Formats: sequence, C-alpha cells, structure tokens
Amino acid sequence: MPSNTALIWLMASLFLAALPHFYYQPSWVSLLFLLMLVWRGLAIRQHWPLPGRHHRTLSMVQWLIALIALGLMMNSYGNLIGRDAGTALLIVMLGLKVVEIRNHRDYYISCFLGYFLVVTNFLYSQSIPTALLMFIVIILMTSCLISLNDVKQTLSKISQLKLASKLLLQAIPLMILLFVLFPRISGPIWGLPQDAHIAQTGISNTMTLGKISELIQSDAVAFRVKFDGEIPANNALYWRGPVLWQTDGTQWHELTLSQQARHSPPVITASNEAVKYTVTLEPHNAHWLFALDLPNLFSKDLTTRLSHDATLLSDNPVKSRVQYQLSSSTDFVMAADNDPHVKAALVLPNGLHPRTRALAEQWRQKANSAESLIQMALNHFNQAPFYYTLTPPALSGDVVDRFLFESRQGFCEHYAASFTTLMRAAGIPTRIVTGYQGGELNPVDNYWVVRQRDAHAWTEVWLAGRGWLRIDPTAAVSRERIDRGMSDILPRTSLAPFLFTQSDQLIDIWQNIKHNWDAVNNAWNRSILAYGPELQKSFLSALGMADPNWQRMAMALLLAFSVILLVTSALLLIPRRETDPIVATYHRFCRRLAKLGLSSRLSYEGPLDFANRAAKAFPEYQLEISQITALYISLRYDKTMSSLSDFKHAVKCFKPKLK
Amino acid sequence: MNAISQLYRRFNNLRGRRVFILPTRFGVLYGGFLILILLAAINYNNSLGHILCFLLASMGQLTIHYTYRNLAKLELVSASSEPCFLGEVIPFTLRFDNPTQYDCYHLNIASKQSNDRSWNPLKNVTGFRYQPHQTRDVLPANQISSHRITVASTQRGLQAIGQIRLSTQFPVGLFDTWTYFTPDCVAVVYPAPAGHLPLPTTIDDGQQDIGAQQQGNDDFAGLQAYREGESAHAIAWKALARDDILRTKQFSSQHSGQIHLSWLATTSLPDTEARLSQLCRWLIDAENQGFEYSLNLPQLDIEKGHGHQHQQRCLTALALYD
Repeated sequence: MPSNTALIWLMASLFLAALPHFYYQPSWVSLLFLLMLVWRGLAIRQHWPLPGRHHRTLSMVQWLIALIALGLMMNSYGNLIGRDAGTALLIVMLGLKVVEIRNHRDYYISCFLGYFLVVTNFLYSQSIPTALLMFIVIILMTSCLISLNDVKQTLSKISQLKLASKLLLQAIPLMILLFVLFPRISGPIWGLPQDAHIAQTGISNTMTLGKISELIQSDAVAFRVKFDGEIPANNALYWRGPVLWQTDGTQWHELTLSQQARHSPPVITASNEAVKYTVTLEPHNAHWLFALDLPNLFSKDLTTRLSHDATLLSDNPVKSRVQYQLSSSTDFVMAADNDPHVKAALVLPNGLHPRTRALAEQWRQKANSAESLIQMALNHFNQAPFYYTLTPPALSGDVVDRFLFESRQGFCEHYAASFTTLMRAAGIPTRIVTGYQGGELNPVDNYWVVRQRDAHAWTEVWLAGRGWLRIDPTAAVSRERIDRGMSDILPRTSLAPFLFTQSDQLIDIWQNIKHNWDAVNNAWNRSILAYGPELQKSFLSALGMADPNWQRMAMALLLAFSVILLVTSALLLIPRRETDPIVATYHRFCRRLAKLGLSSRLSYEGPLDFANRAAKAFPEYQLEISQITALYISLRYDKTMSSLSDFKHAVKCFKPKLK
Repeated sequence: MNAISQLYRRFNNLRGRRVFILPTRFGVLYGGFLILILLAAINYNNSLGHILCFLLASMGQLTIHYTYRNLAKLELVSASSEPCFLGEVIPFTLRFDNPTQYDCYHLNIASKQSNDRSWNPLKNVTGFRYQPHQTRDVLPANQISSHRITVASTQRGLQAIGQIRLSTQFPVGLFDTWTYFTPDCVAVVYPAPAGHLPLPTTIDDGQQDIGAQQQGNDDFAGLQAYREGESAHAIAWKALARDDILRTKQFSSQHSGQIHLSWLATTSLPDTEARLSQLCRWLIDAENQGFEYSLNLPQLDIEKGHGHQHQQRCLTALALYD
C-alpha cells in the first residue's frame, strides 16, 4: 500500500497534468476527474475504506460512475477513439483508478498513465508554456515514483524532487541525441480521426458580411514570411486567398467544381522582377496557401497547384504548420484575352439591391468607358461620407443597399462586397479576393509576421485586353489601411493589454516584449516543432552526413549512444578525487610508500599504526615517516600547530628509494 | 604482460563487484508505455510527443546507472552469528561498507532459502529462492553499517549462513539490481529442548550440606580479584573506575545440589535427536533451578559447573554431537 504522502503527491501531479484539458474538454469530464480526486482525498483524511472486494457498495458506486461517464462520452463524441474522446476516456479512467489505488501496481500504472496524459496535452498545444508545464509534471511524477520506492520515507520531498530533476537534466543529452538522430517516420500510421485538428481560426471560403470582424480582433499569427531580398512596399503586400464569385446578397462563395469551366490556371504574364520568399503557414485546416499576389514559381516541398482563379492550393488540407518557398511578381497581367468565367462574375441575385442597381445604371449612362465607371465608383466611396471602422453597426435585410445608402460605416468586406455589386450591376465582371494585406516586420528575427487581424478583402475587375485588375475599394476610403498596414489603423491602446496602455513608452515596451516572444516562438516552431522527416534530412546533411537514410541515422545513433553510455558510466564509477588538500597530500605519501612495496593502509589502521608498520619495514626512512605522520596528525586534529605548506613540502621532499 | 594484467585488475577494482540488473515488470510496462507514446507522437506528427518519449526513454536508461550504482561498490566487512535452538531463527549480523559518496537506499538483504529451480529462467535469476524481502535498510555514504537478518534454523549442528542476496530497486523501481555475497559465517544450532523425562535426582556426595553457601548469582556477597575466564557481566566496573583494580562481584546462591546429566539416562527414548533434545531440556531446567550439573555424552564428559558459559559449553556439545 503506497503511503498517503505518495498518494497525495501523485494526485497533485495528475491534477497538474490534466489542468490544460479542463479548458479543452467538456466540463463534465473535468468535474468527474476532480470529484474522483476529492473522493480519494477524503478517503485518506477520513480513513474511508477503498472500493473493492470487501466493499461491494463502493465498487458499485464506482461502476455506476464509469457507466454514466461512458454514456456521457458516447453522447458527446459518438465514439471512444480519436483525440478528444480518447483523452476524455483517459482522464475519466485515471480519476477512477486514483480512487482505488491499493498497491504498488496500481500506483505505477497511474503514474505511467499520467505520463501518457502529458502527451495528450501536446496534441492540443505545443507552445512553450505547455512544454514547460509538462516538464514540471514529469519531475513531479518521477518524484512520485521515487517516493513509492522510498519505503521508509527517509528522503524528504525536497530531496525527492531534487533527485527527479537531476534525473531529468542528466537525461537531456541523450534526449537531444534521440531527437536529432532517431529516424523519423511521417505520420499518420493509421487514419487520423476527424477531430485530430482543432477548428482553426482564419479566413474561410465564404464571406458573410460581418464575419471578418472577428478575425480583426485576433492577434494570432496567420503566417510568417522570410523575404530573400527587399521587402515590397506595404501597399503591394496582398496575400491572395480564396476568390469569391457567387452571392445571395449577404453571403459570398467560391465557384464549385462543377461550375468551373476550366480547372487550369489562367494565363499570367509577369512584368516585374520576382520576389523570393518562404512562408511558414499556421495550420488552418483548408486547402489554400497564402501567396503574395501573384505567385509564379511554386515550391517543390508541397504538392501545390494554382486554381482557375489563381489561388495557390495544396492537395491536402493544411493540418499542421507547413513551410513553402515561392516567388511572386507584384505586377502582372492575368487572363488578358479571355476568361471563361467572366459570365459568373456578372451574376447578381434576382430582385435584390434595387437602389444599388439604380445607382450603377445612373453611372453607366454617364461613363464613357469601364475605367471611368470604376473611377466614379471609387470617387463615390472617397467623397461620400463613408467611414472606415472596425466596429460597424449591425446590418440586416438588403445588406448592400443598407450599407451604401444608410450606414456607410464598414471595413474591407463591406466595401469589397458593395463595390462588386455595383460593378456587376453596371456590367463589369467583378469578383472578391480574400486574404491578408500587409503585416509587420519583427525586428528581432527579421521575419515578416502576418496576423489574423491583417485579414482583408479586395476586388478584381475584368477588362478586355487588360485582364483581371486589382481594385481595392477600401483604399479609396482609408489609404492608411493599405499604405501603412493594420497596426497603424488600430488605436494604439488596442496593441497592448490594459495595464500597458497608460503611456506610449509602456506600449513600446509591450511591443518589444511581444516581438521578442514572437521571435522565440518562431524559432521554436521552425527548429523544434517542425523537426520531421524532411527537416531531419536537411539538418543531418548540413551536419555532414552524406545522404541521410534510416540505416545511417541508426548507426550514428548507436555510436553516439555508446559514447554517452561510456561517459555516464565513467562519471558514475570513477571515484571522485579527494578535495581536502590535507587528505590528498597524505594519500600521496601513502602511495609513495606503496611503491616501495609496503601493502597499503588497511581500513582499520590509523596513521600512527601505519607509520609504525612503515618504519619497521623501512627503518632507513623512520625519521621522515614519523615527521610526516606527526604533521598530518596535528593538521587534522590540531589545526593551530602546523601549516599545510610545511606538510606539503615534507611530502614533496619524501622520495624514498629501495636500497 | 604484467602491465596489462595490472591494468585489468585496476579496471576490475573500478568496476566493483559483479552486479546483475534486469528490468522489473514495471520497467517492462514502462517500456510498453514509451512505445505507445512514440506511436501517438508519430501518428499525430507531434514533435513534443517525440521529445517526451525520448526524454522518458533516456531517463529510464539513466535509472539503470542509478540503480546499479547502489550496489556496485558495496563490500561485506564481517558477518557474525548467535547460537539458537533448532526451530528458532538464527540472528546474523552483517556489516557492510559503503565507500561511495552516495547513500544506498532500500536494500533488501535476503538469504538463500531453498534450492528449487523454476522452469522460468528469469524467475531463477530474480531470486525467488531467497527469502522474501526482509529489511529495507539504508547504507549511508562513506560508512560501515550493521544489518541484522534472520535465517530459519534447519538442522541441529553447524549451519552456514549460505548465500546472501542484496537487491534494490531504488530510485524508481524500473530496474532490479542484485548481487550475491557468501560470508564465511557459521551459526551453532542447539537441539530443540523437548522430552518429558523427569530431571535426574540430585547426587549428595556428603561433602557439602544441602543449603551450603555456594558461589552463585543471586545475592551480592562481596568483591574478589578477577580470575581469567570470569564473565564480563560480573566485573565490578564502578570499583574499577575507583581504583583501577579489576575485580568481580561475587554472589551467593542457594544451591539445591548437583545433578549428573547422562546420555545413558535417556536410553528409553527412540532416537539420537530425541535423546539430545531431552538432554537439552534437562540442561535448561537444571540451570534455571540452580543446580550444578555435569554432562556425559559418548566420548565426551563435561565437568560439573553452572552459569551461562557452562550452559553454553554443554549446549554446544549437544549441538555438535554426531
């Protein structure tokens, strides 16, 4: 039976291991787990019996709880496999196990399940704070194992924790070795359940007026970019995402596969020098990859293609952080001669937007060309009292009409949608492009960071001979948004939490901290979290391993492991050198006598006895032997009598030779 | 050649004694959990999962060293025993030297209990023939410490302590390490006192009156100069401290008489062991009742006497009879 202290510490470390799950799991899972911990805690305090053979009622209660949990789980998840359901099952099982721990076996199993619980945390978050918390959990859990083996409780908890930390720290070299050299396999080994990836925030392939505004509040990183050369001006940084064609008046959609007349990319002619860059995209569980408008050279890392409307697509949804190299031209001509989809870019829902249609008709009669019509629309946005605001009033009914003629307050998506409606009504093919605009440079690691709040929507119109032209109606209303980026548009106080908004200096400090933290996170993501089969190969090649394959890695691992093993055994087994100079000097004296053939000092032999024996064996050195021994004894037992240097000198001069 | 053998000897000294180590069933379970964690990490392409798995694996590897270190340098300094009657347990005292800088925790000291073999070779090496864990002692660093273990007596006569198995699973219980010592130590096992024959009658040789003053250990009767062979219990330590003369305290006791315990008096009993047990019973009774007694065995005569030492001499004679 494990001791109560060991049990309480186990419960504490399990609690810590399950703590992040309280956020991810339904509340009944957490409640059940806590309830079980409390049950066991009270059982310890009040000396309650444990459920088991002798207490059938308690066993029944436990079974009942297990059944209820099973029912709730089936209700919540529909099955018991998969990440969420599996984790819930593990947590509930652990709770039930804790209640009935009665012997060492149960305790060990709970500890090991606790280790496993730590891994399930990583399936939800691999951030640095999670990693640190989990390292603490591992130390705690290991100290639990130690306390279990410390039957007589001779070690204090502090020394148990110290020993556990020592174990963990000493294990790090081998861990790094394994991490670098263990041949990696690209998962999944078996099919991943649907819930393997959390619903990610980000741009979606539908736009409902009012939707992007949620993103604008989000400081989360959408992707990071490393430019090879100079960074283009902010107003050229349009990161192209899904293109929206169809509308029902409030919602905008992509063209479905069957509606596409052609699946191959449009004809593109680049007219300026390409910009080369590498994107590290956070997972968003969709197919599109964001690229600087417009990519012309694709990375070979991913199987990618360009869609009919020039969006870069990956063959598989982006479920984990990916990196791809691209080159883009910011000045280009797209589908100048014809595009089979032009008709789709003219469709408007029947009978909607009467006032918008009327305005468009009015403009069409005035304008002599499509270009001037577009200019009239942009002028309208610029001169009429339109406001760029991130918190527009809610709209209902005919959203476009309401926006254009009543509220006139909105942000990119309102302007893009109403502009597109106006243009289509006037007979100019127009589509909405969603994506991100701008971003900001992190001065710490020189990565260009694009956050969710940089989400943007703009439009493209098609003019015969000139192809699809980018028109950003938002720029007509708010130039700063496009020229300087989102962080300048947002009030400065929104860039820092409340405590830091008191002065400009504090905000700068906060920004500085944020940049540093972001750079650390970026390095963490790129070097540790991204370390998979690909990165492993390139890293090992860079280290000098020719053509790394798993056999070579295994060989290297074996070799390095042997070296580490040798070093650890040497450290553990070679006795420490004597640190006390007096003892060390005396040992030197003994060794000199041993060289003459005197058997070494026995464990029970005091220095005086040893000196007598030595003097008997070598009468010619009797004087030196007794002198040195006397010095040693006075140094050890009567420090005031003689100096260490005298003693050292005497031993140094003592060089006995056999005559 | 000499240099090589010297080097080998030095390496052997460094290595310490021969110590065995195997994972416990929890160690095997731990390995299983590590494989599970690795599979989960691979399946979800989870980098931190990999790190955790590798960290736990190298911690496990490290505990091999930690566990091994507990026993690697231990040395048996001495072993001693006390006599006991057959059927009782023999107390052995073992003194171990831990010359390392580390305390050695939770040492199980067990002695060999049977010679059975199991079909399972793993079971044979993990010590099922040794009596279940007896002590969980701590051996402090840089110290010699004593540990008592008890071994059941199996036979009258001399019983060797046999092989001693030292094992420990400290610190985390994933590995079990053990080593064997065979101390050169023998215990005397007296026959078990038994039998219902009445104590032989006293001999009255007429030289002494019944109830005469005899030296005994009941009532204090004065001090007398120490003579070699006298019990250390009897030394008058206080008097010694006073004037540095070794003296023993003399006691007087009321002796009921002398008896002669003879091998021939037990002829009615079926076998040697029963006769020895009867003699043993008589010896104890005689001593307890304050008789002076002499012992006669075939080929051995012990003069009359009494007291602890005399009794032990007689009991040893019984134990060693063959």
